[in-house]
Parts: sequence; C-alpha cells; structure tokens
Amino acid sequence: MKWYQTHPSRKRGMLYACLAVFALILLFPMRSEAYAGPGAGFAVLSSFWTLFVAFLYSAYAFISWPFRHLFRLLRHRKAYGNAQIKRAVILGFDGMDPELANRFMGEGKLPNLAKLRGHGTFRKLRTTFPAISPVAWSTFMTGVNPGKHNIYDFLARDLSNYLPLLSSVEIRAPKRSFRIGKYTIPLGKPQMKGMRHGTPFWHWLGKAGIFCSVIRVPVTFPPEKFPGVLLSGMCVPDLKGSQGTFCLCTTRGHTDAFREGGVRVPIDRDGSVCRSYIPGPEDPLAGGSGSELRVSFEIRPDPGKNRARITVDSESFIVQVGEYSEWISVKFKAGLGFNARGMCRFYLKEVSPEVEVYVTPVNIDPGKPDLPISHPVTYSIYLAKLFGPYATLGLAEDTWALNEKVLDDQAFLTQCYANHEDRERMFFDALEKTRQGLCACVFDTTDRVQHMFWRYLEEDHPAARDVPRDQRPNVIEDLYCRMDALVGRVMKQIDDETLLLVISDHGFKSFARGVNLNAWLHQNGYLMLNQEKKESGDWFEDVDWSRTRAYTMGLNGLYLNLIGRERYGIVQPNGEADALKEELRHKLDGLADPASGRVSISGVFDCDSMYAGPYVDNAPDLIVGYGEGFRASWDSVMGKVTSQIFEDNLKAWSGDHCIDPRLVPGVLFSNRKIADEKPAIVDVAPTILKLFGLGLPAHLDGKPWSVTAGNGVAVQTEVQPES
Amino acid sequence: MVPSLFDLFLVIPGLFRVNLPTALVLLLSIIVGLLMVVVFRYTSDQKAIRIAKDHLKAHLLAVRLFQDQLRVVLSSYGRILRATGRYLRLAFKPLLFVVLPLTFLIVQLDRYLGSMPLQAGEPFLVKVRTTHGDILDEASLQLTPGLAATAPAVHVQGDNEVVWRLAAEKDGNYNVNISVSGQTFSKQVVVSSGLARVSAVRLRGAWWERMFISGEPGLPENGMVQAIEVGYPSRNLAFAGFEWNWIWLFFVLSLLAGFLFKSLLRIEI
Repeated sequence: MKWYQTHPSRKRGMLYACLAVFALILLFPMRSEAYAGPGAGFAVLSSFWTLFVAFLYSAYAFISWPFRHLFRLLRHRKAYGNAQIKRAVILGFDGMDPELANRFMGEGKLPNLAKLRGHGTFRKLRTTFPAISPVAWSTFMTGVNPGKHNIYDFLARDLSNYLPLLSSVEIRAPKRSFRIGKYTIPLGKPQMKGMRHGTPFWHWLGKAGIFCSVIRVPVTFPPEKFPGVLLSGMCVPDLKGSQGTFCLCTTRGHTDAFREGGVRVPIDRDGSVCRSYIPGPEDPLAGGSGSELRVSFEIRPDPGKNRARITVDSESFIVQVGEYSEWISVKFKAGLGFNARGMCRFYLKEVSPEVEVYVTPVNIDPGKPDLPISHPVTYSIYLAKLFGPYATLGLAEDTWALNEKVLDDQAFLTQCYANHEDRERMFFDALEKTRQGLCACVFDTTDRVQHMFWRYLEEDHPAARDVPRDQRPNVIEDLYCRMDALVGRVMKQIDDETLLLVISDHGFKSFARGVNLNAWLHQNGYLMLNQEKKESGDWFEDVDWSRTRAYTMGLNGLYLNLIGRERYGIVQPNGEADALKEELRHKLDGLADPASGRVSISGVFDCDSMYAGPYVDNAPDLIVGYGEGFRASWDSVMGKVTSQIFEDNLKAWSGDHCIDPRLVPGVLFSNRKIADEKPAIVDVAPTILKLFGLGLPAHLDGKPWSVTAGNGVAVQTEVQPES
Repeated sequence: MVPSLFDLFLVIPGLFRVNLPTALVLLLSIIVGLLMVVVFRYTSDQKAIRIAKDHLKAHLLAVRLFQDQLRVVLSSYGRILRATGRYLRLAFKPLLFVVLPLTFLIVQLDRYLGSMPLQAGEPFLVKVRTTHGDILDEASLQLTPGLAATAPAVHVQGDNEVVWRLAAEKDGNYNVNISVSGQTFSKQVVVSSGLARVSAVRLRGAWWERMFISGEPGLPENGMVQAIEVGYPSRNLAFAGFEWNWIWLFFVLSLLAGFLFKSLLRIEI
C-alpha cells in the first residue's frame, strides 16, 4: 500500500484509531514521520538493549559451552569421577547447642532434626580451643588447628604497644597519596590483607572442577579467588571499618558515651523540623587527621500519627514508631568527587516529647560495594539485584544496641529475623543453582539470639531477675523451631545422592558471672599498675609493663610478657616462661567464685601442647577455660583492671560459649550414618574432600569420618596424602 | 534598543555556529527529554520498574556467574525473557502517556523541520494522482501569479499520475489549482528562505489517516483526485560533524537529555 492511498475502511471508532496509530508508530515506521522520541527510546534501550545483550551473551555462552565443557572435562576429567556424593549441603547454625537441640527434639518440637537423628546421625561435634566462632569456622574450612590458620580470637594484639587488632583482616590506607593544598589525594584503593591462613577446602574442590557456593562462612573476608561463588560473612566491616557502630540520634541531653559499639548523636530541633547526622568513615582526603565524614538527615515528627518523615539526601520516607525503614542508601561526600557509599536502616524509637532514632551501622552496599565482599565481586551485586539490599556487616545483628538498651528485645529480634530471611533466600537460591558440588551457608542468627536471650532460659540469671517467669518469651525455643523448619525445607529439596550436614561451631552456656582475669593477675602480683593504682583504664592504661609478667586480652587468651616478643617483656622465654605458665595453671585451674563457691575456671590449657604450625608464635600462651556460668568479664576483655575479680553480668548478652571448650561442643546432624563417636569440626574439610573423591593434603589435622553412602556401603576412610 | 528574547534566540545559535532549525531541535530535545522523564515518573510504578530491571540484571549476571552449569544458564535465559516481558508491561502505561502527545507534537514539528520550503526560482514538481488512468488527459493546471510552468505535463499512465514542473518568481504562499473533469482541487506551495510550515502532500481520507503525512484539509472523498504532492526538498541538519534527519537528531538528543535528567532526578525508566 502506497503512502497516498486512502484506507479502505473509514467506519472505525476513535479508540481503534488511536490504538492503530500507536501500533503504526511502533511497528510500521514510515520515513521521518515515524515517532522516535525518548519514551520509545527508553523502552528500546532499557529492555530491548538488555535483551540484545542477553541474546549476544547467550549466543556466545551457548556456542562456546561445548568447547568450555570439553576443556573442563579434559582439565578436570577426574571431577566427580571418584565422588561418592553428587552434592554436599552444609548448613552451619552458629552456636546451636546439642543439649538444647536434644531437649527440644525430646519434646517433639524439632521434627526434622529428629528425623535426621533417627535415619542419619546426631552427635556432639568437638570444637576448637578456644570455642570462638572465627577460630572454629577457620578450622572448619581449612581442616587445620589454629597454629596453621592463625586465628585465635576475634582480637589479636599489637606486640609493640599491647593494643588490640582485629585478628582476621588488616585494612590500611592506600600506599601512595599526594597533597593538593589541604587535601591528601589517595592513589589506589585501601589495602586489605586477610590474616587467616590455610586453604579452605572449597578451593581444593574448585580446582578439581567441583562447583561451590559458599555463603556467609565467617572469616572469609577479604574474599579469596577460587572457582566458585562466595559471599563473605562474619568479619566484614561496616563503612567505618569497625565491626559495627550503631548511632543513636536523640534530643535527650545525655553526655554518657556507650561502652562499646555505638555513638550518641544530638538532634537539633528547629521548630517542627529536627536535624541530625550519621557519622561515617574517616575523611580519605584529610590525610589521617581523624576527621569523619557525615551524612545529614532531617526528621519531621508527626506525634499525632506516631510517626515521622525522614529525609536523607533526596530520599524521603515515613517510619512509624517501633518500626524499621527499608535499607536507605547514604553517600558520604569527601570532596573532589571522592565519596563512600553505604546503606543503613532507621528505627524510630520516639517522636514525643523527645525524638529518638536508632540508625544501624552503615553497611557496605552489596549492589555497589566500595570494598569487595564476595567472589566474584559481581556475586554480591547479583544477590542484591535479585533479592534487594541485604545486611553485609559480619556481625549484622546489633547486639551492642540491645546491650546498651538502645533497642528493646522485640526491635532486636525483628532485625535478626529480617537478616535471617534474607540469608535463607540467598541460601535457597544457591541450593537451586548448585545441583552438583558444594553448597555451604552459615546462619548467624542462632548465635546472636542465644547470646542475647539466654537470660530467659534460666531461673535466676542476673540480667533477668526483674522479669517474672511467666512473662519470659520462649525466644530460644522459637529460634530452634525456625531452624528446624529451615532444615525441613532443605530436606525436601535434596535427593539421595546429596549429603546433608547440619553443624555448629560450638554450643552455648549461661554467662551469669564475669571474671576479670586482669584483676586476678593484678591482685596476685602478675600484673602491676603505675603509682600503685587500684584500677586501670581500657586497654592497659596505667599498666606498668616493666613489672608485669602476664596479662589477658580478648576472650580466652592469657599472655606472658615475654622478653624478645612483647616490647617491654620481662619474662625469659623457655625456662622462666614454662615455670610461670605452670604456676598460673596451677593457681587458676579450679578458681572458685567466693559468692557461690562454684568453680569459675575448669581448665587452663598450655598452647604449646595444643597448637602446631607456622603461626604458633601468634598464639596466646595459655587458654583459659571458664566454667559453666562464667566468662571473661566485659572489662577484662577490654584490657581493664578492676578492683573486683567477680561480678554479675547484667547485660542482655547473657549466654556465651567462650568457656572451657569441652563444655560447649557443637552439633552434627546428617542424613547419612557417621560411624565416628567423637567427630570434631576439624574433620569436616577432610571428610568432604574424601567424599568427593579427592586426595587429602598432608598438612590437614582432621580425619575423614566413616560415612555410610546412600547404597549402604561404608566410605573408605584411609588418608591418601597428596604430594 | 533592548533585544527581545526572540532576538536572543535567533542570535545565540549563530554564536555556536548552529543554524536556527538545529538550535530549535536542540532546545526542544532538552525540554521534551525533561518532560518525558517527569511524565514517566508520575505515570509509572517506579518501585515495580526498578525491581523488574534489577531482576533482569540479576539473571544476566547469573548467566555469567554460573556459566558452566547449562541448566542454570538456560533457566536464566527464560527468566531474562520473563523479566523483560514484565518490564515492558510496566513501561506500557507510562509509554502511552508519553508517546501519544509527543506523536502529535512531532507531527506538527515535522511540518517545519521535515522539509525545506522552496526557493525562489528553484524548479519543483507537482504530482497529481487521479482515481482512474483514463482521465489523465482531462487534468489541467491553473497557476496563480508568481508561479510558472517550466516544462510540459508528463502523464504516467501506469500510476495514474500527472507531473508538472514549476518555479516561483519570489517568496510567498501560493496555490496551484488542478482541474479534472470539471472539478478543481488546490494545493498550497510555500516559497521562502526562512523556517516555514510546509505540507508536502494533500490527501483524501479521515484526519487520523492523513495526520502523519499531510498538514492540509482532506481532498473531497468523491472527487477524481486522490493526492496532490509538491516536491519540497528534505531538510538535513548539520550537527557534530554529521548531517542528520531532524527526527534522528531529536531522537538522540532527547534520549541523552532524558537519561541525564533521569539520573539527576533519580527517576527509574
């Protein structure tokens, strides 16, 4: 039909004409008369372009797949060749306690775990010395003792000044910079160095051509390259570089600083508008002067509706009192185009008469990560695009805020389970994508909730004495039921060729009484203070190192002030040191709490006899195993000497596992029979390698378990060292 | 004498060595780009569009992340298609709000920018298409003063067409009248050295059938003439070292402006 011919039908309605026009525009463009404005252009670029790229990439992937598959077959022709399983699924429930699990199974509350116990395996899983998550999960992934992976606690010490360091990662400013006027321009990205050594077993699997999806296993930051996908977990910092610093914005005029984990920021009222800010990272252009970047925000309280409108940058949203906002992007601008991007959630505590807003630690934005939190870096982006923004901070559940009573129980639980649901979504996506290979995920919720709600389990916990028995929520029981339901959903998605392991790194016990070991050392003449003071400040302020023979820092480590190791060491290595260790062990083992007569320390362990490997020099000299109900006091952990050795623990953080490791084994559930009577967390790596038919590296300390295969045949367990 | 805004508008393009039609396209592109994203913003479900686009990107990334697992790759392709469909569905409503008014705007603009008016003394063709080939001999041309035929009429029997070649003596709006079997039909001819509204063809039919092509009233439905066309030269705009059809230039510039304003105003498209 030519352009000037009339249409045969002229009896069509206006609506049809409009639609026809639209269709003509889109489908039959005519010379320059065709419409090609931005509306259509956007559609073209936003969808058809994506499709076009997808098509191109698909075509490439499809065409090249046989070649890549062939290459993979040739390179990894033995992958799965000797495997006795097609897939291993590891559910890590940080801190799940075998005694509680047994109790709830006995009460019929955990039907899925009970099913695993009945048809497969349920054992206590021996943990590491000390029983601390970063230590235990490092041993889990590497199959070696801490002397070979270098993680002994959350904290390590700087031998030059006795100050604490994060044990898992070292983050430094870029090596080079130059100055322009008042600005110091950094050249390059911050330097990150993982302090955990040893090779995670998924690296061996990946090299052999076995695909692995690893989600939020602790101490995997910074993420290491391997043939698979990994999202880092515990030890990922917030944007400030800390392990989580919350912010309480308030109109109340408190001057008290929080003991740890948070800052108080004033809210300025200006009529009906309130203004405050979120403290951010150090200004990268300030040349290490310590000045922090800030993001300002505005609050417009609406007391009538019990809510407020909060505006951050150009984003504005309404939050009800007692509710969290969505994740909100924040950009800390340093100038000259330098900025740091993160995200946080706002929790509105109060709008009248005072205004208070809690802001979570500023998490690294997984969709636009300023620091890599996954391998490959696109994996965190993929998850963010698929499920929306999610918490990336290693310790994302803000236990400090609950400890400081900034959040109440319900607000804390809401935060915990929101994070948990995100992780479940990620895990099930990984499970769907990993039909063959390894799918491992660690859920932190079990640990955090037990830490904070153990007080309600006990009759007379100091932190819950004012809560009547009948008003105590069954938080921990509910937690175990949720985890059981998760196991049930996993069991529905796996077949007979899949090995399912449900493990925990340690169990849990009460933390009712704190022991200040530095105070004990001081009162017994091992640790001396300047000018005969009775107490010190945090981090050994006022300690006279020239007369100090032993000190403790962190949760379980006790250190000698050794000549040649510590900067101001006074104890001779070997002979004197050995004698001092023996003396301390003798005095501390069985130390009784004068208030109750109960044993506060049930074991003191010499690290020389426990650890072996290239990093034993970084280990503490002794590991102190506290008795049930006891733990290092909050002050002792922070290197403070107090006048009292024992004190009640009044904080919500009322359960713990940093005690005698023999008292807090973890759990091991499996859908297969495991013959070993005393399995340990160090055995997981060699067991998985063995089940996938790989030889075991000679340096591994763990031993593979005897696992009954699906056909009832016991898997061979002889270790074949690799050259 | 204080220059008016219109004078400034005429002067500024000269400073940048851009002629008036190009400057007009440039200005309109920016305004339209801005208006379109704003209209899109208020007529669309921004959150749903963002999620749909995020899902698209996620499935694209999945193809890359799990490239050696054919099953995952294939299912990701399917999800890419589904997510694209969802995005297009979400974009359809705001697109309607954007496309329809803009279509009419562009049609009008095309009268000014699509073709150049004729120049004085420049020969041009007038084509008349009749309903039957056997009445071509009856077609005759009546010229108004200022127009002159420069060649005899040519009959193209197969296409039912008669073609005349004319020229105008000076600038102005003229009418050419064509008589066929006693009926007379007229067609406007614009001769100008400036920017002027021109319509290359006059047609029969309802307005929505003619709206893209003709800017003149329809020819009588029962007449012997189907169409009268004047051969205006098409207009090309010089911009960034290239010769552009105005609508392509408008497309590119309005798209750039739209993307710029979308980022500035944080609008999801």
